[in-house]
Order: sequence, then structure tokens, then C-alpha cells
Amino acid sequence: MIQAVNLCKSFGNLEVFKDLNININRGECVAVIGPSGTGKSVFFRTLAMLEKPDSGQVYINGTDITGKDVNINKVREKLGMVYQGFHLFSHLNVMDNITLAPLKVKKMNKSDAQKKAMELLTMVGLTDKSLSYPHQLSGGQQQRVAIARSLAMDPDIILFDEPTSALDPSMTGEVLAIIRKLARSGLTMMISTHEMSFAQDVASRVIYMDEKGIYEQGTADQIFKNPTREKTRMFIRKLKVFSYSINSRGFDMVEMNVQIELFCQKYNIEPKKVNYIQLVLEELILEVYGDSSINLQLKIDFTIEFSEERNEILISFVYDGRSFNPFEAAEESEHLGMVLIYGVSKNYGYSFENGLNTININI
Amino acid sequence: MEFFETIVNSLCNNLIGGNAWLVLLNGLWVTLLISASGLLLGTIIGAILCAMRISDVGFLRTLSKIIIAFLRGSPVLLLLMVFYYVVFANSRIDAVYIAIIAFALNNGAHIAEIMRSALSAVDKKQLEAARMLGFSKFRAFLAITLPQAGRIAKPVYQNATINLIQWTSVVGYVTITDLTRTVNNIGARTGDPFFALFLGILLYLCLSYFVNFLFSIGSRKKEVL
Repeated sequence: MIQAVNLCKSFGNLEVFKDLNININRGECVAVIGPSGTGKSVFFRTLAMLEKPDSGQVYINGTDITGKDVNINKVREKLGMVYQGFHLFSHLNVMDNITLAPLKVKKMNKSDAQKKAMELLTMVGLTDKSLSYPHQLSGGQQQRVAIARSLAMDPDIILFDEPTSALDPSMTGEVLAIIRKLARSGLTMMISTHEMSFAQDVASRVIYMDEKGIYEQGTADQIFKNPTREKTRMFIRKLKVFSYSINSRGFDMVEMNVQIELFCQKYNIEPKKVNYIQLVLEELILEVYGDSSINLQLKIDFTIEFSEERNEILISFVYDGRSFNPFEAAEESEHLGMVLIYGVSKNYGYSFENGLNTININI
Repeated sequence: MEFFETIVNSLCNNLIGGNAWLVLLNGLWVTLLISASGLLLGTIIGAILCAMRISDVGFLRTLSKIIIAFLRGSPVLLLLMVFYYVVFANSRIDAVYIAIIAFALNNGAHIAEIMRSALSAVDKKQLEAARMLGFSKFRAFLAITLPQAGRIAKPVYQNATINLIQWTSVVGYVTITDLTRTVNNIGARTGDPFFALFLGILLYLCLSYFVNFLFSIGSRKKEVL
């Protein structure tokens, strides 16, 4: 249906994406997610040739539309686009907004076009607004009209570019409901969105864009429940990560604690937990360095992952050298430090692999 | 009663004596001719200059920038005199046509800027939305950008029109007998300049109101919304 092959696009020195490949089949609903600024919009605009790709091809129903001799207007008749900012024609009322293209581009006759527009307005629930002007409508209503305007051309595929991002939360529902209805009816669509639960619910395939291209893709369940790659996981779980490295026994623990505090303040982690984090880390560092048999130039890396969604903190603490499990060591002799760690952590684990000791602690 | 008689006398002297009203109508016609032609030609020139000003060709952009700066920056009276005494000094072109050319050029430069600012005020994404529906660039411009730009430009354009009409009162400098020159002549002849000049002001005022009326025809039904 629509296929991109080795698509590259950059603005000056800024490379947006490169060698992007995708193939979308008829009837699919593909959700594109990813942090802001990873080129979701540019990707959509490039598919519609609103931005010229630097290299690569876009095929629609098997024809390459990047060529010079392609009548792009003809192609776009079958390619709908719904924008974040609606962009209804502000000098025309709702009815004229919807019928303009069918009348002037498709040369439909007026009564047919209006009949069709009324059907679409019924579908989006705005029959009584047909004579209103865009500025008289709420954002949600404008977006529903924009969807109807796009549907009036009977497109093969619609690209929804963050259709609800400009709406306040009370209006996103009405727009999402329409899109959901369209997806169920089998319309091929791509939708870039920040509404994760919606994407999970509606999309037959989810694409996570990052690192100048498609970073990970799969079914909604795969991406949302079992993301395999690091950045996807961080994005889906809304993880905030703090990492820190210690290279010698003489490191600056005060500075480390200050940085941890700053990180925690930024994401509003409750003070009690901040204390726990610092406590656990200090004790672990002491345990590891306290074991006199280990190399003094021991290197420790730790990360603190904060999941906003679950309000959960995961500390992963990695150090090299020989296998040394402080939990086992603590069992042999009473260590006050380890007792403290048991006390504040929900669960913990230890593993040794390739010369690296890893301790994971949930708080 | 005496006051009333004075007015009637002045009226007769100024308007009827020596078929003055015919002369007056003639002056009015000349003013209207120069204004209307200047506006029409000016709009065409303005559209061309504006198209050059926003074109992709750097040379055309610079050229139109220079032309607009020159035409807008020079007083229209001087422009008129340069055309009359220098450029067309040896030709047999009627002074009225020279005036039309001068006013069209000056007005065109103003209109070009009016058009440009109106075009840049239109939401460009709407044009793009139209293109996504299958409109060609030109047809999307006609269907979306032009009507919206027209609506934005209208009040400024109306102002420019009234300004133009009033500025045509300087054409007397190059021997054209327009409305201003006519009322001046009548006043000189009858020795009653107050009445004649006041009549002139009234007539210009009427012209302005007439222009406002013409402009309001189109928008009246939209204001109801």
C-alpha cells in the first residue's frame, strides 16, 4: 500500500532520519510513537512529499512518487493528512470546508458532494455545525471537521500527525473515538501520537522512532508490554535515568549525593525515597570497597531509574573484579549496612557475568 | 433672511453663472478618471511587483525591492513633475495620461506592500492542507490564500484608495484641470473663494463616502455572522 525504501532526510547539518524502511499494508493501523523531535512529523510530511527526501523512494500502490514526472496532486487525492493544528480553511464554513476539494478537484456535482459531507458530519457527530465557521468551533470539533474533510476525498490512507496534541484533555476523547471508529472500519492509517493507551488499544503495529529512524517495531503488545531495546523501554515506562561512575576509592561522595538529590528533585521523588536511595548506594559502595581483598582501582557504575508511571525506583549497581556477593557475605556475619538495605528495598537480586557483578535493587 | 439671500446668491454665482456646474462636473470627471485608472493600473502593477517580491528568483526580489523603495520613497508630486517635464516632455501624450501613469506607479508600490503583508498573514498550513487534498499549487492559492489575503488587505486597500483620490488634487501643477483646480478657478472668477473651496471639500468628502460604500457592499453580509 505505502512503502518507504531507504528514505533519508536532513535539514542542513541536522539529520532527521536515514535509511528508513517501512511497508504498510492495506487495512493496517500503524501508530508511530517516540520522543518529541525524533522526526515523526517530518517522516509523515516526507511520505506525502511535502518535504523532499534527500534520497530513497516512497511507493504508493507500487508506484514511486519521488520521481519528477509524477503528478503529485493526483497522488495526494488518495493520501489524506490530519494535522495537529487542524488548519481548516478559515474563510469557509464547515460544509464548504468539506465539499471544497470534492467539488473542485474531483469535479463532483454539488448535491452529491453535500450529501456525502452530511454523511461524514453525521459520522463525526457535527451535523448541526454544518454552517458554522471554524473559529466558532472548539478544538475537538475543528479536528473532527478536519477528519471529515480528509475523508471526503475517499483516501486510501490517512496520516494523522499528532491529532490530539493541540487539544486539552477534555477534548481528546471525542477525536480519539472517531479515529478508533475509522480504524475498526478498516481504513489504512498511520498515526503519530503521545496517547500511549490509545496507541496500544487501536494500533495493529507500533513503531518507535528514535536515533534517526525506526528504533523498534512490533505489535502493540510487543512494544508496550515487552519492549526489547533500551530506549523503547525507557520511553514506554517513562523512565528517567541517572547514571554515575566511580573510579577510585577516593571519589567525592558529597558531590555524588548532591547530584542524586538534584536528579530526584527534578522528577519530584519524595524525600523519604531520596534518603533510601542515598543510603542504599552508600552502603553498597562501603560493602564493595570494604572488602579488602578486592582491587583498589575497582570501577563502579550505577544507574538510578525512576519510572514515573509506576512510581518505582530501580538501582542497578555494577562493579568489576572477582565475584563478590555482599548479600551472601552479610549472611555469614551481621552487617548493619546490609540490614539497612534489606529494610528499605522491595526486592533485590545479584548476578555475576563476564567479570561484572550486578546488583539490582527496587525501592 | 439676509443671510439666506447671501447663500443663495453665492450658490447662483458659483454654480450657475457661466455654466460653472458643467465645468465642475468636468473637473470631477477628471479626478475620477485619474483616480480610478490609477487604482486599476496600480493594482496590476502592485500585483506584479508583489509577485516579484515574493518570487524564488533572487534577482527579481532585489529588483522589486529597489523599485518599491524608490516609488514609495519619492513624493508623488515630484514623480508627476519628473514624468511631465522630463520623461514625456517631448511627447504629445495628454497630461491626464501622464498623471495616470505617475499615480499608478506610486500607488502600485504601496499596493505591492499591502498585498505582501496580507499574503504573509495567511496561515500557510491551510494552503498545505489544500495541497494534501489534491489541489495544485496555483489552484490552492486561488481557492485558499487569495480570498483570505483579500479579506485581510481590504481595509488597508480602502484607505489607500481614499488617499489616492486626495493626492490627485496635486495634478493642477501639470496643467490638468481636475476638481481642485476647477473650484480654485471658480473661486477666483466669482471673488468668493470660501464657498467654492468649501464646495470642493464637500465633493471630495462625498467621493470618500462613496468609496467606503462600495467597499462595504461585499462585507455587509459577512458581518452578520
